[in-house]
Amino acid sequence: MNVLHVLFKVDGTEYAMPAADVVQMESYTGATPVPGAPSHVAGLVQVRGRVIPVVDARTRFGLPAGTPSLDSRVVVGQLGERTVGLLVDSAREVLKLDPRTIQPPPPMVVEGAKGFVKAVAQVGPRLVMLIDFPRVVGEEAADVDGQR
Amino acid sequence: MSGSGEFAEFLPAYLAEVDELLASAQRDLLAVEDAVRKGQAQPRAVRELFRALHTLKGLSAMVDVEPIVSVAHWMEASLRLADQAGGRLPESSVEPLVEGLRAIELRVRQLGAGKTASPAPTALLERLEALGPQVLDAAPKRARPVKLDAEAAFASRLAPSEREQLEGGLTAGQRALRLDFVPSSERAAKGLNINTVRERVAKLADIVKVLPLSGAAAGGASLAFALLLITRAEDAALLDAVGGPPAMVRSLEAPEGAAEAPGDLAPAPPDGAALPAGAVLDEELDEPEVRRGGGLLRVEVSRLDEAMEWLAALVVNRSRLTRAVAALTQAGAPTRELTAILQENGRQLRDLRSAILRLRMVRVGDVLERLPLLVRGLRRATGKAVRLELEVGDAELDKAVADRLLPALVHLVRNAVDHALETPEERQAAGKSPEGLVHLSCHARASGQLELTLRDDGRGVDAKAVAKAANAPVPDSADALLDLLCRPGLSTRQEATRTSGRGMGMDIVRRIVVEQLGGELRMETRKGAGTTFTLSVPLTVTLMDAIVFECAGRRYAVAVGTVEELIDVAGVVRPAGADGLGLVERRGAAVPLVSLARLLDAGSSGDASAKGGGAKALIVRQRGDPVAFAVDRLLGQQEIVLRPLEDPLVRVPGVAGATDLGDGQPTLVLDLAALGAARMGRRKRASRAGEWVS
Repeated sequence: MNVLHVLFKVDGTEYAMPAADVVQMESYTGATPVPGAPSHVAGLVQVRGRVIPVVDARTRFGLPAGTPSLDSRVVVGQLGERTVGLLVDSAREVLKLDPRTIQPPPPMVVEGAKGFVKAVAQVGPRLVMLIDFPRVVGEEAADVDGQR
Repeated sequence: MSGSGEFAEFLPAYLAEVDELLASAQRDLLAVEDAVRKGQAQPRAVRELFRALHTLKGLSAMVDVEPIVSVAHWMEASLRLADQAGGRLPESSVEPLVEGLRAIELRVRQLGAGKTASPAPTALLERLEALGPQVLDAAPKRARPVKLDAEAAFASRLAPSEREQLEGGLTAGQRALRLDFVPSSERAAKGLNINTVRERVAKLADIVKVLPLSGAAAGGASLAFALLLITRAEDAALLDAVGGPPAMVRSLEAPEGAAEAPGDLAPAPPDGAALPAGAVLDEELDEPEVRRGGGLLRVEVSRLDEAMEWLAALVVNRSRLTRAVAALTQAGAPTRELTAILQENGRQLRDLRSAILRLRMVRVGDVLERLPLLVRGLRRATGKAVRLELEVGDAELDKAVADRLLPALVHLVRNAVDHALETPEERQAAGKSPEGLVHLSCHARASGQLELTLRDDGRGVDAKAVAKAANAPVPDSADALLDLLCRPGLSTRQEATRTSGRGMGMDIVRRIVVEQLGGELRMETRKGAGTTFTLSVPLTVTLMDAIVFECAGRRYAVAVGTVEELIDVAGVVRPAGADGLGLVERRGAAVPLVSLARLLDAGSSGDASAKGGGAKALIVRQRGDPVAFAVDRLLGQQEIVLRPLEDPLVRVPGVAGATDLGDGQPTLVLDLAALGAARMGRRKRASRAGEWVS
């Protein structure tokens, strides 16, 4: 059974997550920084009246910071009760992935990606990384010690 | 046809409202009677009685109950005169007034029982009519004309009747005073705020008016209230009621032989306690209105919020207690009973919390009470036949949400009748019933949201016409069409050209539902068949008065109640080695000055400008001591909807939540004390040089 996925790009690499976990996609016009939040949190954005945190995929993946452009997208994902956005370089494609083409990631990828990539899918000639959205988003709270 | 036929649908709402008015009128009349016996004036009760009858008359006229209108009219007329005479009524007037109220009550009961109100007794009407001249005779003769020493700023804000009331009090041998109350956070903590002060002062005096003042008032605070009173109480008792100095009492009586022109004679007020002209903050704060009726109690929402705050403090305390007990248990102490009590305590707190939350809930049905009248008016104005169906059941909504939501619903209903529904002729030509339908239903959803659906069976939104008016391509989905409809400015163009379709104020509707309340707005429309709007709104929101300011190019908000004072930053002393922390002088004491920009930036290696600029500062108490937070610019004060940040990623100390100031971007609502405590602690540990204890 093919599962619909949302594809997005970060620093030239293609990633994907199940469309069922994605609420919507929004263009990115900047976020309101939150002092004391983990460094991979770009800040807050308002999506249809809701205020949600946005995780910067580049910072999270340990990549050089990018400049927001017209292509930048916030992939708004649902994580149980939580709604969190993921800031990516672009997101244009939605496609069905055949489970038979999805493989566990090679050990080197696992190590390099800090567990953010949980599988790799072959789409024609392209390799697409399936991200572990809960892990990417993380639960790390404030970096202020002893407060929580 | 009194109270029947086309008004039958309004009758329940009318009866409920009238019941309350009658109850308060009776109470006020008793107070008046009591005062009359003692030969005193009772201006406040007379005024309230007058207002109640005035409203009663208006409501009764609306549902066309002529007998009640007549009785109320003559009562109102004599009370108006009494009000102008400083609240003085002759003893002979009490009995007819009592009878008048009784006559009204009797007829209200008749209506409630489904009967027709019986005609007003002619004899009673004549007696009531005769009251007017009697009241005039009883009015105090101004043997000794008393002039008010009202300063120019006051004079313009006093209604003639208020002026007369003050003068009447003076003539009657009472004192007319101005009592200043200066709120502060210490006082608020002791339960002393303008509302409690009103109550306390009301026991000693008749409050004629309460004027909020801003600018440098007595005691250096930026906000104060002047209460204008008539009283026989001693100065000391009055001062005590407002919490002592910096409060002050001043007579409003002009010295003998003073000039007529107000302003000319305003003596220079002592020690800089002047009331700056044009320092008017707001319109007169409305008298808090607590009326009893039908087992209902009206309470100011701010008091419920206060209760909520205390509850929050309890919850925090309980978690400390839990930790302490856990530590005891670990140390081997016998804590079984303690633990059981703690659990019980936790349940009680939860129950208390939901009880307080329930207090804030109002029935949606009550909120929508106005809509039938609105539709009735629209029916007349447009000449369209409209049926309004309400299907709201027992759903409840937080008062604050309801208050914001109602204007959006009014907009939508007005649009539906104005634009969506066709004329009876058009409808018949289209094979529809000549009477248009507007249907409003609502139900609570499990997710803590209330869903309201407003449906009409009108012509539907003409996507092409809207696209043309908006100068945009024809939208291909209902969402896109709604986006277009919600474009600000679309309305005016449509309104001007009378293009069919919706648009009037849709941007406002969206703003309220989506941005202010954090809800959702959806639309479905079918040409010729009608349009349905669906609004999902949260059942509760948190509102607060906030000071909005700018710091390092960003806007922030902070709760007014937490800010002790706003100051201009000048004369900063920067002790060597204090890590950029400065000291400012405030009433003879040194207060540490922290650059907020620096503080906010402290997490990221801190390359904020070391000079720690900032022209203004907010003084906040942090663990009991004042600390000044320097910011760039103050932008004003406004009420905001606080959206708590629930995600663990952004739940950080010092950030109470976010709000939307209207730009669609979240603005942080800061808790400066917590921010300072959390972030300065860090800095201190990071660099031992930062000892800045003053």
